[in-house]
Amino acid sequence: MKGQAIDRFAATLPAETRASVYQSTKATHEKRTRLLFDQFADPDRLRALAGEIKQHAIENLDTYLPQAEARLRANGAQVHWAGTAEAACAHVLRIMRDRGATKMVKAKTMVSEEIELADYLGRHGIEALETDLGEFIIQIDHDHPSHIVRPIIHKNRREIATSFEREGLGAYNDDPATITRRARHHLRHKYLAADVGLTGANFLSAESGRIALVTNEGNSRFSVAATRCHIVLVGIEKIVPRDRDLGLLLNLLGRSATAQDLTVYTEFISGPRDPAQPDGPEEMHVIFVDNGRTEVLAGECREILRCIRCGACLNVCPIYRQASGHAYRSVYPGPVGAVLSPLLLKENFPQKADLPKASSLCGACHEVCPVNIPIPDLLLRLRARAKEENVPSPGTPPMGPWALLASQPTAWRAALVAGRALNVLPTRLIPVPALQAWTASRELPGWRGGEFRRWLKARRRPAPPAR
Amino acid sequence: MTDDRESILSRVRGALAPLHERAPLPAYDSEIAVLRSLLAGRDLAELLAERMRRVNGLALTSPAAVVAHLRAGGHRHGYCDPALWPELAPHFADGFTVETRFDRTRVDEYAFGITRAAGAIAESGTIILKDRTTSSRLGALAPWVHIAVVSRADIFGDVTQAVAALGEDRNVVWCTGPSKTADVEGILIEGVHGPGEQIALIVP
Amino acid sequence: MLNRERTPLTGRRVQLMATCLCDAFYDDVAAATVEVLEHAGVEVAFPEGQTCCGQPAFNGGDWPASRRVVRHTVRTFAGEDPVVVPSGSCAAMLFHGAVLEFEREPDAPAVEALGRRTWELADYLVNGLGVRAWPGRYPARVALHRSCHSRGSDSVAAALTLLRSIAGLEVVEFGEPEQCCGFGGTFAVTFPHLSGAMGQLKLDHVRAAAPDVYVSADMSCLMHLGGLAAREGRPIRTLHLSQVLRDALRGGEAKP
Repeated sequence: MKGQAIDRFAATLPAETRASVYQSTKATHEKRTRLLFDQFADPDRLRALAGEIKQHAIENLDTYLPQAEARLRANGAQVHWAGTAEAACAHVLRIMRDRGATKMVKAKTMVSEEIELADYLGRHGIEALETDLGEFIIQIDHDHPSHIVRPIIHKNRREIATSFEREGLGAYNDDPATITRRARHHLRHKYLAADVGLTGANFLSAESGRIALVTNEGNSRFSVAATRCHIVLVGIEKIVPRDRDLGLLLNLLGRSATAQDLTVYTEFISGPRDPAQPDGPEEMHVIFVDNGRTEVLAGECREILRCIRCGACLNVCPIYRQASGHAYRSVYPGPVGAVLSPLLLKENFPQKADLPKASSLCGACHEVCPVNIPIPDLLLRLRARAKEENVPSPGTPPMGPWALLASQPTAWRAALVAGRALNVLPTRLIPVPALQAWTASRELPGWRGGEFRRWLKARRRPAPPAR
Repeated sequence: MTDDRESILSRVRGALAPLHERAPLPAYDSEIAVLRSLLAGRDLAELLAERMRRVNGLALTSPAAVVAHLRAGGHRHGYCDPALWPELAPHFADGFTVETRFDRTRVDEYAFGITRAAGAIAESGTIILKDRTTSSRLGALAPWVHIAVVSRADIFGDVTQAVAALGEDRNVVWCTGPSKTADVEGILIEGVHGPGEQIALIVP
Repeated sequence: MLNRERTPLTGRRVQLMATCLCDAFYDDVAAATVEVLEHAGVEVAFPEGQTCCGQPAFNGGDWPASRRVVRHTVRTFAGEDPVVVPSGSCAAMLFHGAVLEFEREPDAPAVEALGRRTWELADYLVNGLGVRAWPGRYPARVALHRSCHSRGSDSVAAALTLLRSIAGLEVVEFGEPEQCCGFGGTFAVTFPHLSGAMGQLKLDHVRAAAPDVYVSADMSCLMHLGGLAAREGRPIRTLHLSQVLRDALRGGEAKP
C-alpha cells in the first residue's frame, strides 16, 4: 500500500461523514472560544495555570498517590492498584465475583475503553452495559468511538434508528428525541437491575480523596444511585493536589469540552453512600490504573499526562476534521491521541509511530488546550524517536542528502542554479517522490534559483554601501 | 491476586528521580476563575434564576407556582422528601398522588420528585445535592421533573465558593440544568437518563 | 506559546535570512524585503553562506540532520546583529524549533542566542523598530493569511497594523482564518490528500471573501494554496507582505 494510513483513510471517508464531523467540531470549537473569551479577560492565563497545576501533580505522583489512597481508605473506599490493562480488568472481575455480581452498568470512561473492559467482562460471563447514549449505540453496533466526548460523531440518525430497530427498541424512527426517549426507558431498567456501577474519574483530589466525575446525560449519577457497588477506574495521572484546584479545572473542562460553564452533572464522590441515604453503593472500589503511564512519566513527553480528555484539540484539529476519529486506530484520537496512543504502546511504539506524523504542526491544539500541553512539540519529539528507531515512514523524503547540501554553501549555490532543470524537464519524468506528490495536485512555481543573489549583487555593485 | 501498588510506586519514583527539579505548585487566587462582573451587585436568588434559565432550568419562588407548573405539564404522580411534604402538602390539591418513599420497582410511575437541595451556585445556575440532605438519590434523578428546594441563604455566588464548601459529605452532586445529550448529530435533547426539567424552588 | 525571549535591539543593522524558498523560487519577495527594510532606515547585510533554517529535517524527525543545518546557520549568522527573515515559519524554527532539538546539545546556548535575535519581518518593523504606519498607497482589498507559525506570536497583529495603515488598502476578513492551510512542510507531500483537502477549505473561505490579493508573511503557505488554485484553473493572486509594503511605496499594486 502506498502512502500514509491516515491519509488513505481520510481519502476514503464518506463525504457525508466528513461533513458531519467537520460541522460539529467546528461548531463546538467556535462556541467554546466565544464562551471563554466572553467570560474571561485572559483565558490563556487560566489555561497556563491549570497546566502548571497538573504538571506539578504528575511530577509529584509519588506523594499524591499514597495521599489519595489514604484518604479514600479513611472514607471507607477500597483502593486497588493495577499495573496493566489485564490487571485492571482482573480487579474488576474479582470484585464482581466476590459479590456474586453478574450485571454491570458502565458510565463513559476512556480508561475502560483503553483496557477493553467490556469485552473482557463479556468473555467472563458478565454483562457490562454502556449507558452513555453514544457509547450504548457503539456497543450495540460493535463499533468504536471516534471522539473522546462525542463517541458517535461519525454516525447519523438513520444509522442509529436502524440499529435501534434491529435491537428491538421500537419500530424505525430517526427522530433524535424519540431515539433518546427509547434509550431512557430501556436503560433505566438496566440500571435498576444491575449489581455494580462502573465509572471513571475526571479528577482525583489527593487532599480529600474526592473523585470528580462529570456527565451531561446523568448516566454516571444513575449508575451510583441504582447500584450497591461502585467501581471507579482512575488513571494515575488524574490526580490534582487539592479540592480548590478542582474549581479551576472544572471551570475549564466544561467550557473546553462542550462550551458549558459546567457539565450538567458534576459529582464529588469520596466514599460509599452516607448511612442515612437509601440509594447508592454501600461498597466503593477505586482502581488506580498505570497501563503505560509510568513509562510516559519517565519520558520526554510527560506533559501529555496533564490531559483532561476534553476533546478541544480534536475539535479544532484540521486533520481530525478531515479524517475523523477512526483514522487514528486508537481509543484516543486526534492530536492528544497522536501523542498518547503510541506512547501507551510502550515497546510497540512503532505500530502507531505514524500518528505523530499526521499533523501539519499548525499548533491549534496547543492554543486551545485547557492544560496548555505543547502538543506540537510532543509530536515532534515522537517523530524524532521514530526516526531514531528507524521506523519506516512512507512518503517521508530522506533528509540526509538535503542536510549535507544545506551545510555546504558552495554546493548549495550550485544546486540553486542546477534546479533550473525543473523549468524545462516535465516533472513527471523526474523521479523524486516528493516532487511527484507535490505536483499531483498543485502547480510548482517557476525555479528562480540564485536570482535574488544576482539582483542583490547587481544592485550593490555601482555604489557599495559605506561601512 | 497480587496488587501492583509497590511496583507502580517504584516506577513512579524511578520516573521522577532524574528530574533536576519538580514543577512547583503555582500560587493563585481562585478569584481568577470567578465571573466577577456577572456577580457584582446582584441578588443571588435573582441571578440563580437567570443563570438557570440560561441552561434551560427554571427557578420558582412559591409552592403554588410549582404546583401550577406540574399541573400544566400533566405531571400528577410524584415523590417528595418526607421531611418537606408536611409543608408542601396543602398546596397539592386534588388530582395529585405524592409518595414519600421512592419505590424503585415502580420507577416509571413517578413523573416528578421533590427533594431538598444543600445549596445552589448562582454563577452557573447549579443545584447542589448532598447525600445527607437528599432524601433519595433516585427520587431526585429518575422522574421527568426534579424540584430542588433551595433556601436563599444556601445560594453561593460562584463555583469556587461551592468547592470550598464541599464539606465532609461523601457524595455531592451539582446539577446544572436538565440531563442532556447532543450525541445524535449534535442535536440537543434533554431528559436522557435524569430529569428533562430541572427546577429550583427558592424558599426564604 | 513559543519561546520568545528577545535580545533588545540597538542599532539599525540586520542580517537578512532570505529563506531557501525565496532563494529557489521567490526572489522578488527577498528583494522586496531588502527594499522595505532599507526604506525603514535599516542597513541590510546578506551573509552569502546562508542556506536553510533546518526546519524540513526537524519536522521530518531527522534531528541529527536538522542540527547539522542549524549549526551551519548559527555559524553563518554570527555576530550580534539581529536576523530578519520574511517568514514566520523560519523565524519560529530558529527561536523555538531549533532550541527544542538542541536541548541536550553542548552548543545549545549559541542556538538560543541566535533565536533571541531572530525576527519575522513584520514583527521586526512594528515591535522592533516601532513602525506604526506604512507610507504610500495600495488601493486593493487584501486578505491576510494567518500562517500557523505566527500563532501566539506578535506577527499577525504586526502585519495587520502595517496593512491597515496603508492608504487605499482595505483588509477583508474571511471564514476560519485560524485554520491551517495544509502546507505543513513535508506534510504536504507525505499526506497529500489531507493537505489538499485543507487547502481547498482555505481556498473556499478566501474566495468567498473575494479579495484582490491574498497576502501572507510566509511564502510556503502561498506556494501550496497558489499551486492548488492554479491547478484547478482558478488561480488566486498571492503576494508576500513585503511585496505589498514595497509596492505601496511605489503607489500601488504592480499589475500582473
